[in-house]
Amino acid sequence: MTTDPPHTHAAPPRDPRGGLTAHATLRGALPEDAPQDPPPVAACDLPPGARRAAADPAGPQPPGPATAQDRGPATDGTDAPYGEPVAGQGAAEPPGATSPYRTSAGGLPADGDGDGDGDDGPYPEAHGGRGGGDADGEGRPYGHAERPAHTLPDTASRPDAESRPAAPQPPGAREEPRGDGLPPIPAHGSGWTPEPTEGNGSLGTSYAGTPQRGGPLDPTGHPGDEDSVGLRIPMPVQTGPEADRLRYVGAATRRIARGLDLDEILLGLCRSAVPAFADAILVYLRDPLPVGDERPSGPLRLRLRRSDGGLDGPDPAGDQPVGAVGPPLPTLEPAYGSEPISVLLDGPLAEVLRGVRPVFADSPRAADALAELLGNPEGPLPTGRRALLAPLRGRRRVIGAAVLLRRPDRQSFEADDLLVAAQLATHTALGVDKAVLYGREAYIADALQREMLPDSLPQPTGVQLASRYLPAAESARVGGDWYDAIPLPGSRVALVVGDVMGHSMTSAAIMGQLRTTVQTLAGLDLAPQEVLYHLDEQAQRLGQDRMATCVYAVYDPIAHRLVVANAGHPPPVLLHADGLAEVLRVPPGAPIGVGGVPFEAVELPAPAGATLLLYTDGLVESRSRDVWGGIELLRERLHDAATVVSPPPLEPLCDEVLEILGPGDRDDDIALLAARFDGIAPSDVAYWFLEPQAQTAGRARRLIRQALHRWDLDDQVDAAELLVSEIVTNAVRYAERPITLRLLRTDVLRCEVGDDVPLLPRMRHAAPEEEGGRGLYLVNRMAQRWGATRLGAGKVVWFELPLG
Amino acid sequence: MGTGGYEHVDRDRAGQAEAFDAIGDRYDEAFPHKEGQLAAGGWLTASLPAGSRVLDLGCGTGLPTARDLSAAGLQVTCVDLSAHMLELAGRNVPQARFLRADVADLAADGPLPHGGFAAVAAFFTLLMLPRPEIPLALRTVRDLLEPGGLLALGMVEADVDDAPIPFLGHTIRVSGYLRDELRHVVVDAGFEVIKEESYTYAPASTDVPPEEQLFLYCRRA
Repeated sequence: MTTDPPHTHAAPPRDPRGGLTAHATLRGALPEDAPQDPPPVAACDLPPGARRAAADPAGPQPPGPATAQDRGPATDGTDAPYGEPVAGQGAAEPPGATSPYRTSAGGLPADGDGDGDGDDGPYPEAHGGRGGGDADGEGRPYGHAERPAHTLPDTASRPDAESRPAAPQPPGAREEPRGDGLPPIPAHGSGWTPEPTEGNGSLGTSYAGTPQRGGPLDPTGHPGDEDSVGLRIPMPVQTGPEADRLRYVGAATRRIARGLDLDEILLGLCRSAVPAFADAILVYLRDPLPVGDERPSGPLRLRLRRSDGGLDGPDPAGDQPVGAVGPPLPTLEPAYGSEPISVLLDGPLAEVLRGVRPVFADSPRAADALAELLGNPEGPLPTGRRALLAPLRGRRRVIGAAVLLRRPDRQSFEADDLLVAAQLATHTALGVDKAVLYGREAYIADALQREMLPDSLPQPTGVQLASRYLPAAESARVGGDWYDAIPLPGSRVALVVGDVMGHSMTSAAIMGQLRTTVQTLAGLDLAPQEVLYHLDEQAQRLGQDRMATCVYAVYDPIAHRLVVANAGHPPPVLLHADGLAEVLRVPPGAPIGVGGVPFEAVELPAPAGATLLLYTDGLVESRSRDVWGGIELLRERLHDAATVVSPPPLEPLCDEVLEILGPGDRDDDIALLAARFDGIAPSDVAYWFLEPQAQTAGRARRLIRQALHRWDLDDQVDAAELLVSEIVTNAVRYAERPITLRLLRTDVLRCEVGDDVPLLPRMRHAAPEEEGGRGLYLVNRMAQRWGATRLGAGKVVWFELPLG
Repeated sequence: MGTGGYEHVDRDRAGQAEAFDAIGDRYDEAFPHKEGQLAAGGWLTASLPAGSRVLDLGCGTGLPTARDLSAAGLQVTCVDLSAHMLELAGRNVPQARFLRADVADLAADGPLPHGGFAAVAAFFTLLMLPRPEIPLALRTVRDLLEPGGLLALGMVEADVDDAPIPFLGHTIRVSGYLRDELRHVVVDAGFEVIKEESYTYAPASTDVPPEEQLFLYCRRA
């Protein structure tokens, strides 16, 4: 396995339905709950682009200008540590189309993650303007239909706009204006423009004032249902800045909390914050990130993990990379790769972090903390209430900090914005905590799978072996594929490939059980069909649903034969020395775990120079082709490889075989085992049956002497005679049927003595007065290697001596 | 000659011929290369004038020995205990004579004339007998040969007596000697050993272990 490419965990697993607690809590607490599915929109009257915005990205795409979603999965950037895992749909605003209310502008945290699940817009029904009620048909999530001055020009990519036919956008407008989601910022924005509320107008107060409607508790039914059947009841809408803020927080936290991995969550935070809440954001996380409740070790260090926005004003081109926007973040980009910031133990930053609550930079202490975090940027830092430092507090401890900045031409943050920032920070931090745990789980699952696979393959005489294991592209789909090669007596080798049905951590665990079982059964030197029979039985004893497919083949390099039995697995392919690639005709058999179905073995010629390929269906089956199409492709690829040089070198052949997979084809894991048959010439072998008698040891010595003489190995005669004499003496003591004596000359001299007594000999120290009991001790001292293998009927004791 | 020494042996052939009846053609598939046998057969054809009478004892499918001997112009009599094998041999070597018989039946007063053969080929035939019968069979072969007649003997080197071994999906009982002992047995039966060859043979089947084949080129002493 050392030849395998290292598995990266850049794309932690995604559960399509998430199920994050934060998400559920949020949804439950919302006054209006967006329907999960189906999306409450009629897609039939949409222009192609808008329809696509709601379509399953995996489904067929109609032709048309590219949308952010088109590019979303492709530019997923799973390899880039801080890449854009999702395309921000909210950033698809056409230039100049943004409302002065950034709360409802392009940066809105609607469903911009390109997952196409259609549950866009946290509050699609919030303002009663959807469907038919709203004159201008604006589907803005924050419900400003009653304020025409603030209405947004519609954009097809806004999910809420799907309810009416939007004018097709020119292709350029369909493109995401900026790779990292910074929409143009109006020249004279006014921040939140919240109307002053009594006192500090806490979110709780605002929330309490929000009428309950349309939620799951509403007996009138689900809002989406109402919408879809045209029975929508106009509902009063809470208006005003507090409602704006509340809606923003609801949408933003949902956007954040729905992320399943670190990148998604941080992206969610940045997209939510910029530009709706701030003009720039920098997110720092502890380095290293603590996993779960583990206590972080070492000093507190923070590393910049993501940033967004800039302070230099709107960028009409809209495609500037992060950090190129202007002061004070011109050096942001290099900061990603730089060393993490060590937080001074009792410095200002540590103090702010300990305080947990977000702070403005309007106190000297907070300003110092900001300076400690940001270092010395080239441009001037926003000061006072244009800079906000929000510690990110996870379940147990502060795991980072976010810096939110506003440009001088924008209104300063207000006191209530600290509460907004606290909400963003809390959801981000808890989300990160969980994402790290989730990532750890995927890592453990993958580690478990790999642990269950062989560390290395044996190197038996007469056959070359190579293997590959590739996990599925989504690492959560831990596969349960396995391969194995088990040396058997007589220089034979068992070749195994199997595939546990299902994809989960459990599959990997079951695979481990089955692989161990096969190893044990193979060690007994049972016939292939017997191995599968007992494997099937054992799988049923292990528990329910231990379903797997498996092919078990034994190669005999002396007989040049292959015996294959199959349990529902794709058939092996044999590449002959002349370049012919043959799909072996092996009875398909029933999968392991079905029970009660006999298996059948076939014996086939295995000529020297031929290559056997055992593989799992991940290699040949994909969304774009069925198993047989894939096998045909494999056959062709093997044939092509053999036309260049035959037989093709084994390791490159494995790599070449894996290339039949397209880039998007790896939705299953793949195990591949290749065996090149070299064979062993009969002239290097000697084999005898010997009746177990008192004279047998002497006869064995004579046979060894004669054979080694024939092989010009007279130097080895003394040692070989001595050792074989000891082992044969042991064997004939209890054996009833003839023992077998086998000699094999390769780079070593191997001697195997088989008998019909299954009891394995054990080495022991003989007492001084004992006559016997020194045999294996002697073998252990003199042989290069030795061993004893219990067989189905008896055992084999073997030793090897070096040659020359 | 009387009973040829068989009066004290229990001629148990249970299952032996039946196994070969069932194995049939697969025998030749499992043993495709027969260098040692071809060489020993070649020694007979090279040594005998055309028209000489030759006995292929345990002819099996008739391939390659009976066929080659016959093709060399010798008059071949094929003997086997397996009816099916004789049937196959009849197809492979139609010009030969065939006799289904146990080697013990060929002792005194048997169907074949003693002293009537210039040569006998017995490739892997006598190993089907229990050990006590092998010297008797060799003596019978000696009696069937004319004075100075030749014996090409093929055996598997093994120190076993009537031991069951797996063989192409069946179990047959075989006997054998190590080469030194075999030489003694052959000489004691009244032969002179002219030459001895040995080969390691790997059958093209995982069901038959590789074997050490011994070929003795003998002359009736």
